[in-house]
Amino acid sequence: MLRFRRFRSRLLALVLGLLAATLLVTYLLVARANRSNAIAHVEERLSGALKVFWFSVETRKQALADSAKVVSADWPLRTLYLQEGELDRLTLASTLASYAERLNAPVIAAFAPDGEMLATTEADLSNEHCGPFRFLISKADEEAMEQNSDFAYLRGRLHVLTVVPLYAPRPNVIGWLGVAFPIDDRFAQNLKETTQAEVTFTSGPGEDTQRVLATTLTADMARLVAENGPAELTAGGRVAEVTVAGEPFVTLFAPLELLGDDPARITLQRSLDRELAPARRLQRTILVIAIAALVLAALWAAAAARSVSRPVQELAAHTRRVAAGDYSARLELAREDELGQLAAAFNQMTAGLAERDRVRDLLGKVVSPEIAAQLMQSDLKLGGEEREVTVLFSDLRDFTTLSEKLPPAEVLALLNRYLDRMSAIVERHGGVIDKYIGDAIMALFGAPVAAPDAAARALAAAREMVAALADLNRELAAEGRPPLQFGIGINTGRVVAGNMGSRSRLNYTVIGDGVNLAARLEALTKDPAHGASIIVSESAARAARELDALRLLGTVQVKGRAEPVRILAVDA
Amino acid sequence: MRRLLLPTFAFLSLAAAAQAADASARVTLKGPKGEPVADAVVSLIPLDQPAPPAAPAGRAEVAQEDEQYQPYLTIVRTGTTVEFPNRDRIQHHLYSVSDAKKFEKPLYAPGAHESVTFDRPGVVTLGCNIHDWMVAYIVVVETPWFGRSGADGAAAVSAPAGRYRIEVWHPRLIDAKTRRPAPPLQREVTLGADGWSEEIALPLAPDRRIRRAPADKSSRY
Repeated sequence: MLRFRRFRSRLLALVLGLLAATLLVTYLLVARANRSNAIAHVEERLSGALKVFWFSVETRKQALADSAKVVSADWPLRTLYLQEGELDRLTLASTLASYAERLNAPVIAAFAPDGEMLATTEADLSNEHCGPFRFLISKADEEAMEQNSDFAYLRGRLHVLTVVPLYAPRPNVIGWLGVAFPIDDRFAQNLKETTQAEVTFTSGPGEDTQRVLATTLTADMARLVAENGPAELTAGGRVAEVTVAGEPFVTLFAPLELLGDDPARITLQRSLDRELAPARRLQRTILVIAIAALVLAALWAAAAARSVSRPVQELAAHTRRVAAGDYSARLELAREDELGQLAAAFNQMTAGLAERDRVRDLLGKVVSPEIAAQLMQSDLKLGGEEREVTVLFSDLRDFTTLSEKLPPAEVLALLNRYLDRMSAIVERHGGVIDKYIGDAIMALFGAPVAAPDAAARALAAAREMVAALADLNRELAAEGRPPLQFGIGINTGRVVAGNMGSRSRLNYTVIGDGVNLAARLEALTKDPAHGASIIVSESAARAARELDALRLLGTVQVKGRAEPVRILAVDA
Repeated sequence: MRRLLLPTFAFLSLAAAAQAADASARVTLKGPKGEPVADAVVSLIPLDQPAPPAAPAGRAEVAQEDEQYQPYLTIVRTGTTVEFPNRDRIQHHLYSVSDAKKFEKPLYAPGAHESVTFDRPGVVTLGCNIHDWMVAYIVVVETPWFGRSGADGAAAVSAPAGRYRIEVWHPRLIDAKTRRPAPPLQREVTLGADGWSEEIALPLAPDRRIRRAPADKSSRY
């Protein structure tokens, strides 16, 4: 099976293949129908020609018989027959010659009542050759026939023989007149002129070699026809296709019963090529039309394929650009069809992708990348799950006082500078900024993506934040600004995590006691008695496997909790 | 015996005519297409003087040879006896159905001969009942002054000066209107010392004679 990589080749192959197959099948069917029609037509013509042959033989035979009857009644002929003494055969022969002129009869012979040939116009026809005449006479005599005819050989040549009685007067038969005409080349030619068929007479299959008796063909062709005849023939004849000199002939073989001999054969032929000539001309025209149709179809298919493949190639190139992240390009296809619709849809899609990318970019800035990723992946829906999360709370101390001293723009710049650094540290340690609450930061570890070392990460982040604040304070000092101070509270506990808010606006966040405790721990850092900027709950310390390493500060009674909570200080 | 005498009679009659002749009538005969017409009979019948007395009974011969009558055209004076010898190998059946002389000589054998005396002027067509192609003409005239045209269509008859009815006849002569075989064309002429000459167009029927092939008939097939 051929495979075409290009759409154009495939369309071309399909269109041309289908068209060529259709045309070929049509052509072959037409050619076959033409041929069988031609053969049927020729067969019809040939059987008509055979009827013409019989009719013309019958007509000529009857005309000659009628004429023979007239001359047989001629007075001097009777006188001559009935002269005393021996019959004057010479005078009889010359009289027959005169009759032959009148009758236009090729052969006339006169016979005695017993069938002995007395005289003839045919010099080389002797009494021995006249067996067929005698046979006709004997039968006509026995059955009191007024005429009797048949086909027979006279000296090996095919003739139609007729005998009529010679009365003096009727009913006294004093002899017989025989007339004959040859079935010769001229006869065949006449038949051909009437029937438009090639005519050949051959001796029958009874003879060892078939002689050509008469023909309209050349001698060589006639010989071939004689040799190719079927061995057996029924009265109706047989039709066959015979190739003579490279030309196919529809051929009708029919038997010709002979008097006292094996049947001879008449062969009627018409050239199939000649019969097919008009059909062949038509077929050639069809062929030219077919080739023209193929060429036009090829041109059309190529153009059609091009009109499809070109925009498709453009689309493919465009898709690659979009895949590479370039949303700026627009497909310009001024088409109303499906491809035009596709291009429009593609442009819409590119615009949509660009929009989504922009949203995703913005989302990453508004929420943490992990949350953004989770939002992208999952369906946005209200509700959440209960899970263990480590919550980190940090808050700048006395920032409100500070902000009153500075212009708002500078406050915001300073705050952003601080939040930027802290957020970077949180994120570097796998934490997620849940939200900024003024100058406070709420960060989650172990949500939305669960992590086994979430608490340890939170503690590491807190320590680095403290170090980073020191760095920031050095910078601020260099700038001549007052230093910043903050506190960090960390708690690990079970919370509800998920999307919260209204249907139209959601936040991924965590809520629960554990969150409140973290905030509360951060507030405890303000207490100078503790002397710690980072305070963690016992559960966080345990989760971070630092319970033993950290300094125990004691227990605090937290609002809403029955049991006091042990708190520990993390020293930077 | 009689056959031997024939040339003598002919000589005598010609000699008698020559004695009296001092003028010549010349006609040139043309056919419908202007072609010269041979074998036309031209005779002069005197109007002022009685016809010369009939010559002593003359004799002529039309033989049957090689299945033909020989000669084709014979001109005799009234009262002439014509011999019909059969010099052929086969029998013939001589007959005439012409008004001038009707007779029939059924099949008679080679060597035999018949004779017929023609006592009335006119044209006698001879046929053979068993051979359609055999034909001959005997023209019986009442005058010693007659002649026949040659291949050039010219005929000359010498006769004493005087008024004559000239008669011209040909085997194919027909009446131009009826297309029937016609009696001789007639015209009155005066034959002076310097003779008379004219060209005459003859209305002729087509030649319908059966032409036998010169070779033996049996070679046809």
